[in-house]
Amino acid sequence: MGRSKTTREKSGDRAAALFWPGRHIGVQETGWAVLLRGGPVIALLFLLAYFSFATPYFGTLSNLKNIAQQNAYLVILAIGQTLVIIGAGIDLSVGAVMAVSASVMAVLATQKITIMGIAIGPLNAWLAMLIGVAVGVIAGLVNGLIIAKGRIPDFVATLGMMETARGAALLVTGGLPIPSHLTATELRGYLPEEIIWMGGREVLGIPTGALIALATVVTGGVILSQTGVGRAIFAVGGNKEAARVSGIKVDRIKIATYTLMGLMAAVAGIVLTGRMNSANALMATGVELKCIAAVVIGGTNLFGGEGTIVGTMIGAIIMGALGNGLNLLNVSAFWQRVIMGIVIIFVVVFDQWRRRRFAA
Amino acid sequence: MTGSSFLLQAESIDKSFPGVHALDKLDFDLKEGEVHVLLGENGAGKSTFMKIISATLPKDGGKMFIRGQEVEPISPRHARDLGIGMVYQELSLVPSLSVAENIFLGNLPKRGTGTVHWPRLFTEAHRLLDDFGVDINPRQRVGTLGMAERQLVEIAKALSMKVQILLLDEPTSALSDEERGRLFDIIHRLREIGVGTVYVSHRLDEVPQIGQRVTVLRDGKRMDTLPVEDADEDTLIRMMVGRELKEHFPKEEVKLGREILRVQGLRVKNKLNDLNLTLHEGEILGIAGLMGAGRTEFARALFGIDPIDSGKIFIDGREVTISSPWEAIELGLGYLTENRSDGLVPRLSVAANIILASLRRLCTMGFLHLRREKSLSERYVRELGIHAASLHQKVEFLSGGNQQKVALAKWLCSHSKIMIFDEPTRGIDVGSKTEVFRLMNQLVKEGVGIIMISSELPEVMAMADRILVMCRGSFSAEFGSGEATQEDILRYAVIGGE
Repeated sequence: MGRSKTTREKSGDRAAALFWPGRHIGVQETGWAVLLRGGPVIALLFLLAYFSFATPYFGTLSNLKNIAQQNAYLVILAIGQTLVIIGAGIDLSVGAVMAVSASVMAVLATQKITIMGIAIGPLNAWLAMLIGVAVGVIAGLVNGLIIAKGRIPDFVATLGMMETARGAALLVTGGLPIPSHLTATELRGYLPEEIIWMGGREVLGIPTGALIALATVVTGGVILSQTGVGRAIFAVGGNKEAARVSGIKVDRIKIATYTLMGLMAAVAGIVLTGRMNSANALMATGVELKCIAAVVIGGTNLFGGEGTIVGTMIGAIIMGALGNGLNLLNVSAFWQRVIMGIVIIFVVVFDQWRRRRFAA
Repeated sequence: MTGSSFLLQAESIDKSFPGVHALDKLDFDLKEGEVHVLLGENGAGKSTFMKIISATLPKDGGKMFIRGQEVEPISPRHARDLGIGMVYQELSLVPSLSVAENIFLGNLPKRGTGTVHWPRLFTEAHRLLDDFGVDINPRQRVGTLGMAERQLVEIAKALSMKVQILLLDEPTSALSDEERGRLFDIIHRLREIGVGTVYVSHRLDEVPQIGQRVTVLRDGKRMDTLPVEDADEDTLIRMMVGRELKEHFPKEEVKLGREILRVQGLRVKNKLNDLNLTLHEGEILGIAGLMGAGRTEFARALFGIDPIDSGKIFIDGREVTISSPWEAIELGLGYLTENRSDGLVPRLSVAANIILASLRRLCTMGFLHLRREKSLSERYVRELGIHAASLHQKVEFLSGGNQQKVALAKWLCSHSKIMIFDEPTRGIDVGSKTEVFRLMNQLVKEGVGIIMISSELPEVMAMADRILVMCRGSFSAEFGSGEATQEDILRYAVIGGE
């Protein structure tokens, strides 16, 4: 019996290490701190309780599915952003990269293109998605290369990429939504089912987008807590010079985080396109700040070196639940933004207080 | 009546932090024109005491008197108005501003219109610096100054506010001997105008040079206050650690093995010329020299942090190129940095820092062996006697000596065969120093070769099998163990080779 208990504890530890990477490499804590570490959790529970009480529709299964489906792309982006921010970077180009990769995918999947005299029909949907993902990965890689090799501040490099990618997306789509009835004469006027499935369908009653988001959460958690790369990301973000002297290839780690971010942005683009049945060059405007907010609400240090994947996921869900709940309560969209801003500040202030109070 | 001859008196100052009684009913006094040295191991309460005097920390109990008047400073600003000026260990200057602006920061001379009166700012700064014989251009940006000059600017800043009581917290830890001499001259000049100085230091040899009285703290209690004439090093050390250290530097003889490192003609433009050296298994090679002689630059070049312009490096007789730290680590080098903050990731745990340089070895297919991380770090924590609450404790919460041990454990864990120790004893207490030397002995016994860079001549002389003296980017002399006196080494360090 004793044995079974210890094995259970051990597996519990492993799970804890996976889902609370901060705990594994962070401090052993007092009971209070463990409770308060869940600061964002408490905020989330409070929100859920309040909305379920205030509006009967909020707690229904279909609405919860709705929230999951609507915010899946935000979770995916925020996971990538968490890796970047722990590595002491920041990526402002995620929304634009998302738009350009989704636009490329949608155009390839629905339109005829002529390359060097050869007309290529609407491509196979999976191939189109793959190329879309490749576009995102390349954009992330370029971000990383510019920052690491060009020694340009992260903020500036990704700001440049944000404009460039948005412009590229406009060029690819000609400024029109894809697919568009305006150009539908010789083209397919709808997205292939495979793409729609990625963001707008259900598997065993669970929205596909939410499943994909969950997969990225697990991937992100594994990378941070179980791999050498993850440890190196923490080290680079915590003290770049020490990481370098300890033999970590700082440039490569930096490039890796941005490349992963590009990949996540492309996946988020597919999910969002699938849900909306359409891609356009101006989609996902402003999501870079939204996903950074989710990361910060989740307790990740904006200066790098500290953070958790689960925190970020909770941060993203708080933002999603808040938006949905306020909608149901008929709060005006203008007020919603004010409230969102106040919540971000409140959660972070509380988190900072908690850190100071329970440090050492 | 009696109080009037004392500039500052502190009576039964008490301060507790969670779990630590940092100051236990501490009495202290300072006379006009006196330098009162405060000694003690790390964590003895020196810095806490200074912070309470300067009102950076609130006290739990006790009284303070200035010239016999009871005072109760409530903020650093208030303390300054009372004539108490603190010069911090970490300097608090703004590098991008000029010397003059830094000196008068928050107190800039203004014109009637409210704008800064620039000509007056510079003339006043110039006068102030002239007054105590410092040759620094007040228009120069602080960022371009050396450490010693910054220290002097910081002191000038304190003096510009008519400070009567100057608190110096380890002001010489980053200074070369020459720079230290200049600082001491200035402190002597301040004595003449009646300024009292509380001087915290780890360097016992400074006590007779600078102080009139010395107080030793241990565990927040005052052990004794002595006139410096009665305070020889052995007495002071006994009071600090509470036990006799039989041998400060317990060097053990080790038989030298084959050559493991040879450097030929290493050159870095404007920094290092034509450096040659060899290192054997089991050897400690000391590199002595003044601050700025190029010792750290040499270590960084050898370890691949900074690029070299020419020169050959041989490891185990094979020529190698080292253009990045990871290549150096692959080749078996380890580098304990001069600055602890360059060697550790403060917000990562003890365990994570210990395995940081061995990540590659501890990964299969990119996945980290968490269990091996635990067992390895447990082993080094035990072997090195690292005092941490747990393996998960963040290193930023450890004391300086324990941080240094973690940094050391990192290189032990990566199985380094050639170790570069850059100022391994800087800023750590006597007990930890002895511990570091014990570990060095143990390492050389296992066949590791150590390059020991140190500004503490007695330490190098006691520990090294050979000493290379560096001066302005070149090696100016080489001595075998026991061949040279401190004066010999210093001469070559200051004047250079023939």
